[in-house]
Amino acid sequence: MTRRALQPLDITLRHGQRYQRVRRGFLALSVALSFVLPLWHLHSLDVQGAGLAADSPWARVAALLPDAPPPFFGAPTSIWVGLFELVDPLESLGVALFQGVSWHWVWTVLPGVVLVLLLGRFFCGWACPYLPLLAASNASRWVLTRLGLRLPDVKVPRATSRVVMVGLLVGGSLLGTQLVPLVYPPALIGREVFRAVFYGSLGAGALVVAGAFLFDTFVSRGGFCRSLCPGGAMFSVLSNLSPLRVKNERSKCTDCTVCDVVCNLGQSPMTNRLDSGCERCGRCIASCPTRALSWSLSRPPLARDSKAEGPP
Amino acid sequence: MNRRALLGALTAAVALATVPRRARAHARKIRPPGALAPGRFEQACIGCFRCAEVCPTTCIRFGSAFSLDQAIPYIDASERACVLCMKCTQVCPTQALVPLAADPDIIAKTVRMGVPVLTRSRCLPWNLEGICRLCYQVCPYPEEAVELTGPRKAPLFHPEACVGCGLCEEACPEQNHAIRIEPLPDAAPPPSTRPP
Repeated sequence: MTRRALQPLDITLRHGQRYQRVRRGFLALSVALSFVLPLWHLHSLDVQGAGLAADSPWARVAALLPDAPPPFFGAPTSIWVGLFELVDPLESLGVALFQGVSWHWVWTVLPGVVLVLLLGRFFCGWACPYLPLLAASNASRWVLTRLGLRLPDVKVPRATSRVVMVGLLVGGSLLGTQLVPLVYPPALIGREVFRAVFYGSLGAGALVVAGAFLFDTFVSRGGFCRSLCPGGAMFSVLSNLSPLRVKNERSKCTDCTVCDVVCNLGQSPMTNRLDSGCERCGRCIASCPTRALSWSLSRPPLARDSKAEGPP
Repeated sequence: MNRRALLGALTAAVALATVPRRARAHARKIRPPGALAPGRFEQACIGCFRCAEVCPTTCIRFGSAFSLDQAIPYIDASERACVLCMKCTQVCPTQALVPLAADPDIIAKTVRMGVPVLTRSRCLPWNLEGICRLCYQVCPYPEEAVELTGPRKAPLFHPEACVGCGLCEEACPEQNHAIRIEPLPDAAPPPSTRPP
Protein backbone atom coordinates (compact mmCIF):
# COMPACT_ATOMS: atom_id res chain seq x y z
CA MET A 1 0.00 0.00 0.00
CA THR A 2 1.37 3.34 -0.99
CA ARG A 3 1.72 6.03 1.53
CA ARG A 4 -0.91 8.76 1.23
CA ALA A 5 -0.65 12.28 2.44
CA LEU A 6 -2.47 12.82 5.73
CA GLN A 7 -5.90 14.42 5.29
CA PRO A 8 -8.20 16.12 7.81
CA LEU A 9 -10.60 13.18 7.81
CA ASP A 10 -7.80 10.88 8.96
CA ILE A 11 -7.47 12.84 12.14
CA THR A 12 -9.59 12.30 15.22
CA LEU A 13 -10.48 15.27 17.38
CA ARG A 14 -9.43 13.81 20.71
CA HIS A 15 -10.34 16.45 23.21
CA GLY A 16 -11.74 19.93 23.56
CA GLN A 17 -15.05 18.30 22.68
CA ARG A 18 -17.11 20.88 24.51
CA TYR A 19 -15.61 23.71 22.45
CA GLN A 20 -16.28 21.75 19.27
CA ARG A 21 -19.85 20.99 20.32
CA VAL A 22 -20.55 24.65 21.06
CA ARG A 23 -18.98 25.68 17.75
CA ARG A 24 -20.91 23.10 15.75
CA GLY A 25 -24.11 24.06 17.56
CA PHE A 26 -23.59 27.71 16.69
CA LEU A 27 -22.81 26.80 13.10
CA ALA A 28 -25.90 24.60 12.89
CA LEU A 29 -27.98 27.49 14.23
CA SER A 30 -26.54 29.85 11.66
CA VAL A 31 -27.15 27.45 8.78
CA ALA A 32 -30.63 26.60 10.05
CA LEU A 33 -31.48 30.29 10.34
CA SER A 34 -30.43 31.01 6.78
CA PHE A 35 -32.59 28.16 5.53
CA VAL A 36 -35.60 28.48 7.81
CA LEU A 37 -36.00 32.26 8.05
CA PRO A 38 -37.12 32.88 4.45
CA LEU A 39 -39.52 29.97 4.67
CA TRP A 40 -40.90 31.20 7.98
CA HIS A 41 -41.36 34.73 6.64
CA LEU A 42 -43.15 33.53 3.53
CA HIS A 43 -45.28 31.14 5.59
CA SER A 44 -46.36 33.92 7.97
CA LEU A 45 -47.72 36.16 5.18
CA ASP A 46 -51.47 36.38 5.30
CA VAL A 47 -52.39 38.31 2.16
CA GLN A 48 -54.31 36.77 -0.70
CA GLY A 49 -51.98 35.64 -3.44
CA ALA A 50 -48.91 36.04 -1.23
CA GLY A 51 -47.50 33.49 1.18
CA LEU A 52 -46.61 29.91 0.46
CA ALA A 53 -48.46 27.95 -2.21
CA ALA A 54 -49.99 24.77 -0.79
CA ASP A 55 -48.51 22.65 -3.58
CA SER A 56 -44.96 23.93 -3.17
CA PRO A 57 -42.36 21.44 -1.93
CA TRP A 58 -41.70 23.72 1.03
CA ALA A 59 -45.25 23.63 2.34
CA ARG A 60 -44.76 20.48 4.37
CA VAL A 61 -41.75 21.94 6.22
CA ALA A 62 -43.53 25.26 6.69
CA ALA A 63 -46.49 23.52 8.33
CA LEU A 64 -44.20 22.85 11.30
CA LEU A 65 -43.49 26.55 11.76
CA PRO A 66 -45.58 28.96 13.84
CA ASP A 67 -47.98 31.27 12.00
CA ALA A 68 -46.61 34.39 13.69
CA PRO A 69 -43.79 36.16 11.84
CA PRO A 70 -40.28 35.26 13.01
CA PRO A 71 -38.63 37.44 15.68
CA PHE A 72 -35.66 38.29 13.46
CA PHE A 73 -34.89 38.80 9.84
CA GLY A 74 -31.91 38.93 7.56
CA ALA A 75 -29.31 36.72 5.96
CA PRO A 76 -25.99 35.44 7.35
CA THR A 77 -24.20 38.63 6.31
CA SER A 78 -26.73 41.07 7.71
CA ILE A 79 -28.91 39.89 10.51
CA TRP A 80 -31.00 41.87 12.93
CA VAL A 81 -31.00 40.38 16.44
CA GLY A 82 -33.02 42.33 18.94
CA LEU A 83 -31.25 45.63 19.43
CA PHE A 84 -28.26 44.85 17.28
CA GLU A 85 -27.50 44.72 13.62
CA LEU A 86 -24.77 42.30 12.64
CA VAL A 87 -23.68 43.47 9.21
CA ASP A 88 -20.68 42.04 7.44
CA PRO A 89 -17.73 44.47 7.78
CA LEU A 90 -16.74 44.12 4.12
CA GLU A 91 -20.23 44.86 2.80
CA SER A 92 -20.44 47.79 5.21
CA LEU A 93 -17.12 49.12 3.91
CA GLY A 94 -18.45 48.83 0.37
CA VAL A 95 -21.47 50.91 1.33
CA ALA A 96 -19.36 53.48 3.17
CA LEU A 97 -17.20 53.97 0.06
CA PHE A 98 -20.31 55.25 -1.73
CA GLN A 99 -22.40 56.69 1.05
CA GLY A 100 -19.86 58.09 3.43
CA VAL A 101 -20.09 57.40 7.13
CA SER A 102 -23.23 58.15 9.10
CA TRP A 103 -24.27 57.45 12.68
CA HIS A 104 -26.61 54.75 11.44
CA TRP A 105 -23.70 53.16 9.60
CA VAL A 106 -21.51 53.23 12.71
CA TRP A 107 -24.31 51.70 14.77
CA THR A 108 -24.86 48.84 12.34
CA VAL A 109 -21.16 48.13 11.84
CA LEU A 110 -19.97 48.40 15.42
CA PRO A 111 -21.35 45.17 16.97
CA GLY A 112 -19.86 42.99 14.23
CA VAL A 113 -16.51 44.78 14.20
CA VAL A 114 -16.18 44.62 17.99
CA LEU A 115 -16.82 40.87 17.86
CA VAL A 116 -14.15 40.44 15.19
CA LEU A 117 -11.65 42.61 17.04
CA LEU A 118 -12.09 40.43 20.13
CA LEU A 119 -12.53 36.99 18.61
CA GLY A 120 -10.65 37.36 15.35
CA ARG A 121 -11.84 35.72 12.16
CA PHE A 122 -14.36 33.63 14.12
CA PHE A 123 -17.19 34.11 11.60
CA CYS A 124 -15.44 31.80 9.14
CA GLY A 125 -15.19 28.96 11.63
CA TRP A 126 -18.36 29.53 13.61
CA ALA A 127 -21.08 30.92 11.41
CA CYS A 128 -20.29 30.87 7.69
CA PRO A 129 -22.96 28.81 5.89
CA TYR A 130 -20.30 27.76 3.38
CA LEU A 131 -18.56 25.65 6.06
CA PRO A 132 -20.76 22.56 5.57
CA LEU A 133 -19.82 22.70 1.89
CA LEU A 134 -16.14 22.97 2.81
CA ALA A 135 -16.54 19.92 5.05
CA ALA A 136 -18.25 18.11 2.17
CA SER A 137 -15.40 19.10 -0.13
CA ASN A 138 -12.84 17.75 2.34
CA ALA A 139 -14.83 14.54 2.56
CA SER A 140 -15.01 14.26 -1.24
CA ARG A 141 -11.24 14.71 -1.46
CA TRP A 142 -10.77 12.00 1.14
CA VAL A 143 -13.02 9.56 -0.70
CA LEU A 144 -11.58 10.37 -4.14
CA THR A 145 -8.04 9.88 -2.85
CA ARG A 146 -9.07 6.52 -1.38
CA LEU A 147 -10.40 5.61 -4.82
CA GLY A 148 -6.96 6.23 -6.23
CA LEU A 149 -7.47 9.67 -7.75
CA ARG A 150 -4.56 12.05 -7.43
CA LEU A 151 -5.98 15.45 -6.55
CA PRO A 152 -3.80 18.52 -6.80
CA ASP A 153 -3.52 20.84 -3.82
CA VAL A 154 -2.41 24.14 -5.30
CA LYS A 155 -1.22 26.61 -2.71
CA VAL A 156 -2.56 29.93 -3.95
CA PRO A 157 -0.88 32.77 -2.04
CA ARG A 158 -3.15 33.95 0.74
CA ALA A 159 -2.62 37.59 -0.22
CA THR A 160 -4.71 36.84 -3.33
CA SER A 161 -7.84 37.23 -1.21
CA ARG A 162 -6.80 40.79 -0.34
CA VAL A 163 -6.28 41.56 -4.02
CA VAL A 164 -9.74 40.13 -4.71
CA MET A 165 -11.21 42.23 -1.92
CA VAL A 166 -9.67 45.50 -3.11
CA GLY A 167 -10.46 44.62 -6.72
CA LEU A 168 -14.13 44.14 -5.90
CA LEU A 169 -14.33 47.43 -4.00
CA VAL A 170 -12.58 49.35 -6.78
CA GLY A 171 -14.52 47.58 -9.53
CA GLY A 172 -17.78 48.21 -7.71
CA SER A 173 -17.07 51.91 -7.39
CA LEU A 174 -16.29 52.09 -11.10
CA LEU A 175 -19.48 50.28 -12.04
CA GLY A 176 -21.60 52.10 -9.47
CA THR A 177 -22.89 48.98 -7.78
CA GLN A 178 -21.99 46.60 -4.97
CA LEU A 179 -19.92 43.69 -6.29
CA VAL A 180 -19.09 41.95 -3.01
CA PRO A 181 -22.63 40.54 -2.54
CA LEU A 182 -22.30 38.92 -5.96
CA VAL A 183 -19.31 36.70 -5.13
CA TYR A 184 -19.16 36.40 -1.33
CA PRO A 185 -20.38 32.89 -0.37
CA PRO A 186 -22.26 33.65 2.89
CA ALA A 187 -24.15 36.49 1.17
CA LEU A 188 -24.74 34.28 -1.86
CA ILE A 189 -26.00 31.30 0.09
CA GLY A 190 -28.41 33.50 2.07
CA ARG A 191 -29.68 35.06 -1.13
CA GLU A 192 -29.98 31.88 -3.15
CA VAL A 193 -32.04 30.28 -0.39
CA PHE A 194 -34.34 33.31 -0.52
CA ARG A 195 -34.60 33.02 -4.28
CA ALA A 196 -35.38 29.33 -4.08
CA VAL A 197 -38.03 29.75 -1.38
CA PHE A 198 -39.67 32.96 -2.58
CA TYR A 199 -39.45 32.62 -6.36
CA GLY A 200 -38.59 28.96 -6.91
CA SER A 201 -35.46 29.74 -8.92
CA LEU A 202 -31.72 30.02 -8.45
CA GLY A 203 -29.48 32.87 -9.56
CA ALA A 204 -25.92 33.09 -10.80
CA GLY A 205 -24.79 33.08 -7.16
CA ALA A 206 -25.50 29.35 -6.99
CA LEU A 207 -22.95 28.86 -9.78
CA VAL A 208 -20.33 30.85 -7.85
CA VAL A 209 -20.90 28.72 -4.75
CA ALA A 210 -20.72 25.56 -6.84
CA GLY A 211 -17.50 26.87 -8.42
CA ALA A 212 -15.98 27.48 -5.00
CA PHE A 213 -16.91 23.94 -3.99
CA LEU A 214 -15.34 22.46 -7.13
CA PHE A 215 -12.22 24.61 -6.65
CA ASP A 216 -11.89 23.38 -3.06
CA THR A 217 -12.43 19.78 -4.10
CA PHE A 218 -10.38 19.47 -7.28
CA VAL A 219 -7.79 22.25 -7.18
CA SER A 220 -6.92 23.39 -3.71
CA ARG A 221 -8.09 22.07 -0.34
CA GLY A 222 -9.96 24.85 1.46
CA GLY A 223 -8.43 27.11 -1.17
CA PHE A 224 -11.41 29.39 -1.63
CA CYS A 225 -11.74 30.30 2.05
CA ARG A 226 -7.99 30.54 2.50
CA SER A 227 -6.87 32.39 -0.59
CA LEU A 228 -9.81 33.85 -2.50
CA CYS A 229 -12.66 34.83 -0.18
CA PRO A 230 -12.87 38.65 0.02
CA GLY A 231 -14.83 38.54 3.27
CA GLY A 232 -12.19 36.33 4.86
CA ALA A 233 -9.57 38.89 3.83
CA MET A 234 -11.52 41.64 5.55
CA PHE A 235 -11.88 39.57 8.72
CA SER A 236 -8.14 38.83 8.63
CA VAL A 237 -7.28 42.52 8.40
CA LEU A 238 -9.51 43.29 11.37
CA SER A 239 -8.43 40.36 13.50
CA ASN A 240 -4.82 41.57 13.67
CA LEU A 241 -5.83 43.08 16.99
CA SER A 242 -7.56 40.04 18.45
CA PRO A 243 -6.00 38.83 21.71
CA LEU A 244 -7.30 35.25 21.36
CA ARG A 245 -4.53 33.03 20.00
CA VAL A 246 -3.54 29.39 19.72
CA LYS A 247 -0.29 28.73 21.53
CA ASN A 248 2.00 25.76 21.03
CA GLU A 249 3.97 24.63 24.04
CA ARG A 250 6.99 23.41 22.14
CA SER A 251 8.28 21.16 24.95
CA LYS A 252 5.17 18.96 24.60
CA CYS A 253 5.07 19.02 20.80
CA THR A 254 6.17 15.93 18.90
CA ASP A 255 6.09 17.56 15.44
CA CYS A 256 3.46 15.11 14.25
CA THR A 257 1.94 17.73 11.82
CA VAL A 258 -1.61 16.70 12.71
CA CYS A 259 -2.61 20.26 13.66
CA ASP A 260 -1.19 21.72 10.46
CA VAL A 261 -3.10 19.17 8.37
CA VAL A 262 -6.40 19.68 10.17
CA CYS A 263 -6.34 23.45 9.61
CA ASN A 264 -8.47 24.56 6.69
CA LEU A 265 -6.89 27.97 6.45
CA GLY A 266 -3.22 27.09 5.99
CA GLN A 267 -2.07 28.09 9.45
CA SER A 268 0.81 26.26 11.09
CA PRO A 269 0.16 25.78 14.81
CA MET A 270 2.96 23.20 14.91
CA THR A 271 5.60 25.83 14.27
CA ASN A 272 3.67 28.50 16.19
CA ARG A 273 3.25 30.30 12.89
CA LEU A 274 -0.31 31.55 13.23
CA ASP A 275 -1.48 34.88 11.95
CA SER A 276 -4.67 36.82 11.53
CA GLY A 277 -5.98 34.15 9.15
CA CYS A 278 -6.88 31.85 12.09
CA GLU A 279 -10.64 31.26 12.28
CA ARG A 280 -10.65 30.14 15.94
CA CYS A 281 -12.27 26.83 15.07
CA GLY A 282 -10.12 25.09 17.68
CA ARG A 283 -9.73 21.92 15.64
CA CYS A 284 -5.94 22.02 15.91
CA ILE A 285 -6.23 22.11 19.71
CA ALA A 286 -8.73 19.27 19.66
CA SER A 287 -6.57 17.14 17.39
CA CYS A 288 -3.24 17.46 19.24
CA PRO A 289 -2.29 14.02 20.64
CA THR A 290 -0.01 15.47 23.32
CA ARG A 291 -2.11 18.49 24.28
CA ALA A 292 0.67 20.86 23.36
CA LEU A 293 -1.77 23.38 21.90
CA SER A 294 -4.02 25.63 23.96
CA TRP A 295 -5.87 28.90 23.79
CA SER A 296 -4.01 31.86 25.15
CA LEU A 297 -4.94 35.45 25.68
CA SER A 298 -2.09 37.64 24.60
CA ARG A 299 -1.67 41.30 24.08
CA PRO A 300 -2.36 42.08 20.44
CA PRO A 301 0.85 42.18 18.40
CA LEU A 302 0.32 45.78 17.36
CA ALA A 303 0.12 46.89 20.98
CA ARG A 304 3.26 44.86 21.71
CA ASP A 305 5.16 46.57 18.90
CA SER A 306 4.37 50.02 20.21
CA LYS A 307 5.40 48.92 23.71
CA ALA A 308 8.71 47.67 22.41
CA GLU A 309 9.49 50.95 20.72
CA GLY A 310 8.60 53.11 23.71
CA PRO A 311 11.01 53.96 26.53
CA PRO A 312 11.31 51.27 29.23
CA MET B 1 1.00 41.86 -0.01
CA ASN B 2 2.26 43.71 3.01
CA ARG B 3 0.23 46.02 5.16
CA ARG B 4 1.51 49.18 3.51
CA ALA B 5 0.53 47.97 0.05
CA LEU B 6 -2.89 47.00 1.36
CA LEU B 7 -3.41 50.40 2.93
CA GLY B 8 -2.30 52.04 -0.28
CA ALA B 9 -4.75 49.97 -2.30
CA LEU B 10 -7.55 50.78 0.12
CA THR B 11 -6.76 54.48 -0.13
CA ALA B 12 -6.85 54.17 -3.90
CA ALA B 13 -10.25 52.51 -3.63
CA VAL B 14 -11.53 55.32 -1.43
CA ALA B 15 -10.14 57.93 -3.82
CA LEU B 16 -11.74 56.21 -6.80
CA ALA B 17 -15.06 55.95 -5.02
CA THR B 18 -15.15 59.62 -4.10
CA VAL B 19 -14.33 60.79 -7.61
CA PRO B 20 -17.61 61.93 -9.14
CA ARG B 21 -18.94 59.34 -11.51
CA ARG B 22 -21.79 59.41 -13.89
CA ALA B 23 -24.47 57.07 -12.72
CA ARG B 24 -24.23 53.65 -14.27
CA ALA B 25 -26.81 52.92 -16.91
CA HIS B 26 -28.87 50.62 -14.70
CA ALA B 27 -31.96 49.12 -16.19
CA ARG B 28 -34.45 51.64 -14.84
CA LYS B 29 -36.99 50.00 -12.64
CA ILE B 30 -39.50 50.94 -9.98
CA ARG B 31 -37.66 50.72 -6.67
CA PRO B 32 -39.33 50.06 -3.30
CA PRO B 33 -40.64 53.12 -1.41
CA GLY B 34 -38.11 55.39 0.27
CA ALA B 35 -35.35 54.37 -2.17
CA LEU B 36 -32.44 56.73 -2.69
CA ALA B 37 -32.14 58.44 -6.08
CA PRO B 38 -31.59 56.16 -9.09
CA GLY B 39 -27.89 55.39 -9.26
CA ARG B 40 -27.30 56.06 -5.59
CA PHE B 41 -29.74 53.37 -4.57
CA GLU B 42 -27.84 50.67 -6.47
CA GLN B 43 -24.63 51.75 -4.72
CA ALA B 44 -26.10 51.47 -1.23
CA CYS B 45 -27.98 48.18 -1.61
CA ILE B 46 -26.12 45.07 -0.41
CA GLY B 47 -28.74 42.65 -1.71
CA CYS B 48 -29.62 41.19 1.68
CA PHE B 49 -33.23 40.46 0.66
CA ARG B 50 -34.64 41.80 3.91
CA CYS B 51 -37.08 44.14 2.16
CA ALA B 52 -38.53 41.21 0.22
CA GLU B 53 -38.60 39.13 3.37
CA VAL B 54 -40.93 41.50 5.23
CA CYS B 55 -43.05 42.62 2.26
CA PRO B 56 -46.61 41.50 3.06
CA THR B 57 -47.67 41.28 -0.59
CA THR B 58 -44.37 39.82 -1.94
CA CYS B 59 -44.40 42.56 -4.55
CA ILE B 60 -40.62 43.03 -4.31
CA ARG B 61 -38.76 41.18 -7.06
CA PHE B 62 -35.10 40.90 -8.03
CA GLY B 63 -33.25 41.41 -11.28
CA SER B 64 -32.56 38.54 -13.66
CA ALA B 65 -30.18 35.90 -12.39
CA PHE B 66 -27.20 36.79 -14.57
CA SER B 67 -27.28 40.57 -14.43
CA LEU B 68 -25.38 42.94 -12.18
CA ASP B 69 -28.81 43.87 -10.79
CA GLN B 70 -29.50 40.33 -9.64
CA ALA B 71 -29.48 41.36 -5.98
CA ILE B 72 -31.26 44.70 -6.30
CA PRO B 73 -34.98 44.87 -5.51
CA TYR B 74 -37.62 46.29 -7.82
CA ILE B 75 -41.38 46.29 -8.04
CA ASP B 76 -43.33 45.12 -11.07
CA ALA B 77 -46.64 46.84 -10.36
CA SER B 78 -48.44 45.15 -13.25
CA GLU B 79 -48.09 41.87 -11.37
CA ARG B 80 -48.32 43.04 -7.79
CA ALA B 81 -48.32 46.54 -6.39
CA CYS B 82 -46.99 48.11 -3.22
CA VAL B 83 -49.50 48.68 -0.43
CA LEU B 84 -47.34 51.38 1.20
CA CYS B 85 -46.85 49.54 4.52
CA MET B 86 -43.28 50.96 4.66
CA LYS B 87 -41.99 47.82 6.40
CA CYS B 88 -39.17 47.43 3.86
CA THR B 89 -37.87 50.91 4.63
CA GLN B 90 -37.70 50.10 8.32
CA VAL B 91 -35.61 46.94 7.97
CA CYS B 92 -33.04 48.09 5.39
CA PRO B 93 -29.62 47.74 7.07
CA THR B 94 -27.84 50.29 4.88
CA GLN B 95 -30.62 52.86 4.54
CA ALA B 96 -30.67 52.41 0.80
CA LEU B 97 -34.36 52.62 1.63
CA VAL B 98 -34.73 55.61 3.91
CA PRO B 99 -36.82 54.60 6.95
CA LEU B 100 -40.34 56.04 6.82
CA ALA B 101 -43.41 55.73 9.03
CA ALA B 102 -46.55 54.30 7.45
CA ASP B 103 -48.25 57.68 7.76
CA PRO B 104 -50.32 58.83 4.75
CA ASP B 105 -49.12 62.44 5.03
CA ILE B 106 -45.45 61.54 5.32
CA ILE B 107 -45.76 59.07 2.44
CA ALA B 108 -47.52 61.67 0.27
CA LYS B 109 -44.73 64.13 0.90
CA THR B 110 -41.68 61.87 0.59
CA VAL B 111 -42.39 58.79 -1.53
CA ARG B 112 -41.99 58.97 -5.31
CA MET B 113 -41.51 55.47 -6.69
CA GLY B 114 -42.42 56.30 -10.28
CA VAL B 115 -44.51 58.43 -12.58
CA PRO B 116 -48.04 57.47 -13.72
CA VAL B 117 -48.47 57.44 -17.47
CA LEU B 118 -51.95 56.88 -18.89
CA THR B 119 -52.42 55.64 -22.45
CA ARG B 120 -55.86 57.00 -23.23
CA SER B 121 -56.30 54.82 -26.32
CA ARG B 122 -56.40 51.75 -24.05
CA CYS B 123 -58.43 53.23 -21.19
CA LEU B 124 -62.09 52.08 -21.22
CA PRO B 125 -63.86 55.34 -20.15
CA TRP B 126 -61.71 57.45 -22.46
CA ASN B 127 -62.86 55.20 -25.33
CA LEU B 128 -66.49 55.36 -24.27
CA GLU B 129 -66.46 51.64 -23.51
CA GLY B 130 -67.65 51.77 -19.91
CA ILE B 131 -67.47 53.43 -16.54
CA CYS B 132 -64.53 51.59 -15.03
CA ARG B 133 -63.22 53.73 -12.13
CA LEU B 134 -61.03 50.85 -10.84
CA CYS B 135 -57.88 52.97 -10.71
CA TYR B 136 -59.72 55.64 -8.78
CA GLN B 137 -61.14 53.13 -6.33
CA VAL B 138 -57.80 51.54 -5.42
CA CYS B 139 -55.81 54.77 -5.33
CA PRO B 140 -54.59 55.59 -1.79
CA TYR B 141 -54.76 59.30 -2.68
CA PRO B 142 -58.01 59.71 -4.67
CA GLU B 143 -58.82 63.22 -5.88
CA GLU B 144 -55.18 64.21 -5.32
CA ALA B 145 -53.34 61.71 -7.51
CA VAL B 146 -56.23 60.76 -9.77
CA GLU B 147 -59.57 62.44 -10.43
CA LEU B 148 -62.50 61.46 -12.56
CA THR B 149 -63.65 63.79 -15.29
CA GLY B 150 -66.65 64.01 -17.57
CA PRO B 151 -69.85 62.00 -17.71
CA ARG B 152 -67.94 58.75 -18.31
CA LYS B 153 -65.77 59.25 -15.21
CA ALA B 154 -62.54 59.11 -17.19
CA PRO B 155 -59.42 59.20 -15.00
CA LEU B 156 -57.00 62.10 -15.02
CA PHE B 157 -53.68 61.52 -13.27
CA HIS B 158 -51.62 64.11 -11.41
CA PRO B 159 -47.99 62.94 -11.33
CA GLU B 160 -47.00 65.59 -8.78
CA ALA B 161 -49.33 64.07 -6.17
CA CYS B 162 -48.82 60.41 -7.12
CA VAL B 163 -46.53 58.27 -4.90
CA GLY B 164 -46.17 55.61 -7.62
CA CYS B 165 -47.39 52.62 -5.61
CA GLY B 166 -48.86 51.06 -8.75
CA LEU B 167 -52.13 49.85 -7.25
CA CYS B 168 -53.92 51.43 -10.25
CA GLU B 169 -51.67 49.56 -12.67
CA GLU B 170 -52.33 46.28 -10.88
CA ALA B 171 -56.09 46.95 -10.90
CA CYS B 172 -56.40 48.09 -14.53
CA PRO B 173 -58.59 45.52 -16.31
CA GLU B 174 -57.02 46.06 -19.74
CA GLN B 175 -54.75 43.21 -20.76
CA ASN B 176 -52.11 45.72 -21.75
CA HIS B 177 -52.57 48.02 -18.76
CA ALA B 178 -53.71 51.49 -19.78
CA ILE B 179 -52.09 53.03 -16.72
CA ARG B 180 -48.40 52.29 -16.14
CA ILE B 181 -46.02 53.50 -13.48
CA GLU B 182 -42.87 54.49 -15.35
CA PRO B 183 -39.48 54.54 -13.59
CA LEU B 184 -38.21 57.90 -12.41
CA PRO B 185 -36.04 59.83 -14.85
CA ASP B 186 -32.37 60.29 -13.92
CA ALA B 187 -32.41 64.04 -13.74
CA ALA B 188 -34.94 64.57 -10.99
CA PRO B 189 -34.01 62.83 -7.76
CA PRO B 190 -37.09 61.86 -5.79
CA PRO B 191 -37.93 63.97 -2.75
CA SER B 192 -37.34 60.91 -0.54
CA THR B 193 -33.61 61.66 -0.65
CA ARG B 194 -34.18 64.84 1.30
CA PRO B 195 -33.16 64.53 4.94
CA PRO B 196 -36.28 64.08 7.05
